[in-house]
Amino acid sequence: MQQSTLDEAVVGKPEEKAPQPHQIVGADGKATRDKPWIIRTYAGHSSAKASNELYRSNLSRGQTGLSIAFDLATQCGYDSDDSIARPEVGKVGVPINSLDDFHVLFDQIPIEEMNTSMTINGTAMWLLSLYVALARERGVDLKKLAGTTQNDLIKEYLARGTYIFPPDASLRIIAEMYEFCLEEIPNWNASNICSYHLQEAGATPVQELSFALANAIGLLDLLKKRGKFTTRQFEKAVGRISFFVNAGMRFVEEMCKMRAFAELWTEITRERYGVTDERYTRFRYGVQVNSLGLTEVQPENNAWRILIEALGVTLSRDARCRALQLPAWNEALSLPRPWDQQWSLRLQQIFAYETDLLEYPDLFTGSAVIESKVNALKTQAKEEIDRILGMGGVVGAIENGYMKSALVRSMSERVSRINNGEQVVVGLNKWTDGIPSPLVGGDDGGLFILDDSATSDTLDNLEKVRRNRDPERVKAAIAALKDAAHSGDSMMEPSIECALARVTTGEWAHALRQVFGEYRPSTGVDGQRLGLTGNRVDALRARIDALVDTLGHRPRIVVGKPGLDGHSNGAEVIAVSARHVGFDVIYSGIRLSAEEIVRSAVEEGADLIGASVLSGSHVELAAQIMGGLKAEGADQAIKVVVGGIIPIPDIAKLQALGVMKVFTPSDYDLLDIMESVVGLLEEQP
Amino acid sequence: MTRHLLPRSPAVTPAELAEQALTRARHPVARLVSLAEDGRSGASAIYDEAMAVLEADAERRNHTARVIGVTGSPGSGKSSLLSRVANAMVAADPDLTVAVVAVDPSSPSSGGALLGDRTRMVVDTAQNRIYFRSQASATALGGLAPTTFQVCRALSLIFKCVIVETVGVGQSEADVRHLADRVFLVVAPLSGDEIQYLKAGIIEVPDAFVVNKSDEPAATRTYHQLRGSLWLARPSDAHDIPIYRTSAKTGRGIDELARDFLTIVTAENATPVRERAPHFFTAWVRDEWGRVGARHLAEQLGGARAFLATQNGFASARRSFDASIRAALHG
Ligand code: B12
Ligand SMILES: Nc1nc2c(ncn2[C@@H]2O[C@H](COP(=O)(O)OP(=O)(O)OP(=O)(O)O)[C@@H](O)[C@H]2O)c(=O)[nH]1
Ligand SMILES: [Mg+2]
Repeated sequence: MQQSTLDEAVVGKPEEKAPQPHQIVGADGKATRDKPWIIRTYAGHSSAKASNELYRSNLSRGQTGLSIAFDLATQCGYDSDDSIARPEVGKVGVPINSLDDFHVLFDQIPIEEMNTSMTINGTAMWLLSLYVALARERGVDLKKLAGTTQNDLIKEYLARGTYIFPPDASLRIIAEMYEFCLEEIPNWNASNICSYHLQEAGATPVQELSFALANAIGLLDLLKKRGKFTTRQFEKAVGRISFFVNAGMRFVEEMCKMRAFAELWTEITRERYGVTDERYTRFRYGVQVNSLGLTEVQPENNAWRILIEALGVTLSRDARCRALQLPAWNEALSLPRPWDQQWSLRLQQIFAYETDLLEYPDLFTGSAVIESKVNALKTQAKEEIDRILGMGGVVGAIENGYMKSALVRSMSERVSRINNGEQVVVGLNKWTDGIPSPLVGGDDGGLFILDDSATSDTLDNLEKVRRNRDPERVKAAIAALKDAAHSGDSMMEPSIECALARVTTGEWAHALRQVFGEYRPSTGVDGQRLGLTGNRVDALRARIDALVDTLGHRPRIVVGKPGLDGHSNGAEVIAVSARHVGFDVIYSGIRLSAEEIVRSAVEEGADLIGASVLSGSHVELAAQIMGGLKAEGADQAIKVVVGGIIPIPDIAKLQALGVMKVFTPSDYDLLDIMESVVGLLEEQP
Repeated sequence: MTRHLLPRSPAVTPAELAEQALTRARHPVARLVSLAEDGRSGASAIYDEAMAVLEADAERRNHTARVIGVTGSPGSGKSSLLSRVANAMVAADPDLTVAVVAVDPSSPSSGGALLGDRTRMVVDTAQNRIYFRSQASATALGGLAPTTFQVCRALSLIFKCVIVETVGVGQSEADVRHLADRVFLVVAPLSGDEIQYLKAGIIEVPDAFVVNKSDEPAATRTYHQLRGSLWLARPSDAHDIPIYRTSAKTGRGIDELARDFLTIVTAENATPVRERAPHFFTAWVRDEWGRVGARHLAEQLGGARAFLATQNGFASARRSFDASIRAALHG
């Protein structure tokens, strides 16, 4: 109803007049108004049952698509009862162990009518197989399924962390999914090329452009080389490539970035792949706006930031996103509560329906300023793309660590600028005094409190599946999967058979781990420094030199990322800072068990373990580390500090475990952190 | 938020520490290594005492470890290779124990080091047959840390095989040859320039070569170039020098290399690491006291070997040397 009133206002009165340049011309030759972009919210938690209830209530309120968040165990290919998975079950998304869980998750949801977007990567082929198996058991025609599996492993190695296999195997899996989907599930996007996560890991606009486009080139080159597609099919596959992009506070530059993306993509599809059908050369993209810049301090300011960030991807019609997802004001505090999501949703609705934005053609065409900026971005991005292609493309540039180092360097520069005040973040490093926020004044402190009683449901169901299935069929299905993996045949059908046979997520991933091996990408921290100098740095270095005398060695810190959490920024920045002020630093990257971290610290004679946890499982993981140290007899020799997203009520719990200090996002001043840590080592009993 | 600090470590006597370390329990082994690295006089006295216990024990057991040195240019894949080889070695020999000491470069401006070698090391946490320790090179050149010798000496009394990975060095100076029974030089597929550079010095040093990253196409050419260069640079022994072709990525050649490492471990007539002390003692003297020190050692004390024979260990030898030269200079 709202919509039609607005339409009238535009198309309105002067019936006869031809549309003016400031108006959008519809198919009927009359002035019209654009349809708004797709408005999305990303959800899922606790258990299949709880998430099903959440989705059904969202759908009953008119939402048409599903955007599914999976828990880290599911994303990394572990069963819920695996020891590394246990602390993470249901924390940041829904746990899925087998097809039975999918039946619960989609209970009473007509999948043939849904557009289902799954944020799933390392196990994307498995989750798609489960979805296909669900459709087969329900008798739904696969042609009617629509949706997306995110399935971009390059950005997992670089920024998001839910990879499993080495790059070549990962790309083969993606390619096989394209080959399966193109004819079998024509409305399925087998993958999404993501630059969103790269910006969240510090990427500059040029890096976002070039890494994402090089990634798309890597994929298309591979599809071409595999030769499974006819020319016509290949063109269609090009047309199915869509992007998932970020937009930050520098919204003018961000808008230019989107224009540059669109122009470059059209050039690449035409020139590199000879695609002529115009439908297949269009740059299609969805957006989640930047969250990295959202602060824990004065969290109400984030509401304005989110609004401004949305401008960059909506203002210009020629480069407007197709779908938009907004974070919430309390992003740096916890997962959003339903009200927080609603508040962000309202922002989009107000923007799309109350303003006149959607009535105009592109506002910036012909602007010399914009054109110049776009061209500058394009030129730099092309140079960078060429550099990456010269290294053998994205796979080469992952394996030699080039792209990861570049991101860690950008991130180190960013935090250095915020630390020395060059980059203003209101409320954080400028205008820091403020009236306490009433938004965090409620009983829950503005936090989402997870009900983890659902975990036992998940574990029970997993037990039940294992008990009730046909073990012979399971064995045969897994053997067939491994055979395909070895022989180079497509793993899609064998995976679907695994799903139908009630193979579990961990079993599927483990079978392929045995064939492909596991991969640990480079950490990118080697050779990095902070852009910070001056008296405080000198003083810290002097204090550390003094510690060499009191400890008998240069102080050593193991920076650890225990569990499945892939948020590496904080750990990387701390590792770089610690070396910058003179620590000897051991940082072995994400996804190590608490046991492995303890082992490193003990063997290396470290003085300190600094664990970084942002996935919400800090209490369980800290307990594992403390227990591990005790078991090694090193609990008195090695001190433990923890940083990350630690809600205030949990700080006391960590301290009770023996954690010496706790740091959160408001501790942005790296030298403060280093002074505090050095102070801890200086205190002698 | 700070809790009251706990005392650093449970108190043990040097002899107890040595006993515990012999079980290869990680924390005691690590403490022993830390003592070997600790330059303070209190610590070095404890180190010498613990070492005396360990030496006596080794003699009783007739235990002599082998030391294998692995050097090569930065990023050639030394650590990745060692992770694979060490695991293959302990898998092949159920009685074998291995300690890996890996040296990383320190930052000249902050003094801190990023100890990245460990990142490549993947070991089953359940077993303690492999011990891995990183060292920072500090100001030392030549690929080792100032205390690598003492650390290896301690580990050689506990483990059967000690493998030392040097800093990625390209230059001809490779101290590891004074420490190891055998030195392996790891190269990645090379450009022509790098081959020239290799010929200019380091090619003289190693007992064996490893062309790693043999999954890369350029590896075959490198192998042949290296063979050719060896004929020119070392005509007398070029015949006997093995060149392994490996890939830490695909696993190619790993078993063969591990087998060679195992042969070294089981070879007769090993030199105990302690015998290598004179070189490292002389190096220490030169570092601390320069040419004056070297002359004092040679002329007044009869050289490193003779002097060490009169001392109760490496660390206490340093202390007596300090006292002796101070007396000579001021007296
Ligand atoms: C950037 C980001 C990402 C990036 C990560 C990129 C990367 N490589 O790090 C991407 C986009 C990939 C990502 C993905 C996800 N994210 Co995220 N992400 C964030 C975000 C916006 C910022 C975190 C950050 O990097 N900050 C910058 C660094 C420098 O700060 P920091 O880590 O806080 O570290 C500082 C201090 O905390 C402290 N510190 C931290 N660690 C340590 C350690 C030591 C030893 C010391 C001394 C100090 C210290 O010092 C640091 C310096 O100032 C936060 C929200 C927020 N604004 O904080 C959400 C957030 C952490 N993400 C969240 C979630 C749920 C996810 C996903 C799991 C979503 C999903 N279901 O798929 C995924 C999966 C990621 C995975 N594999 O684990 C949630 C976690 C919720 C929770 N804990 O309950 C958050 C809080 C957002 C939210 N409100 O929902 N994310
Ligand atoms: N393709 C390929 N890459 C390898 C191989 N071995 C190691 N690498 C890669 O080469 C890079 C360096 O490997 P490292 O094992 O750290 O090399 P290193 O010689 O120990 O390096 P430094 O200790 O820094 O001198 C990493 O990115 C490895 O993944 C191999 O056999 N093939
Ligand atoms: Mg190394």
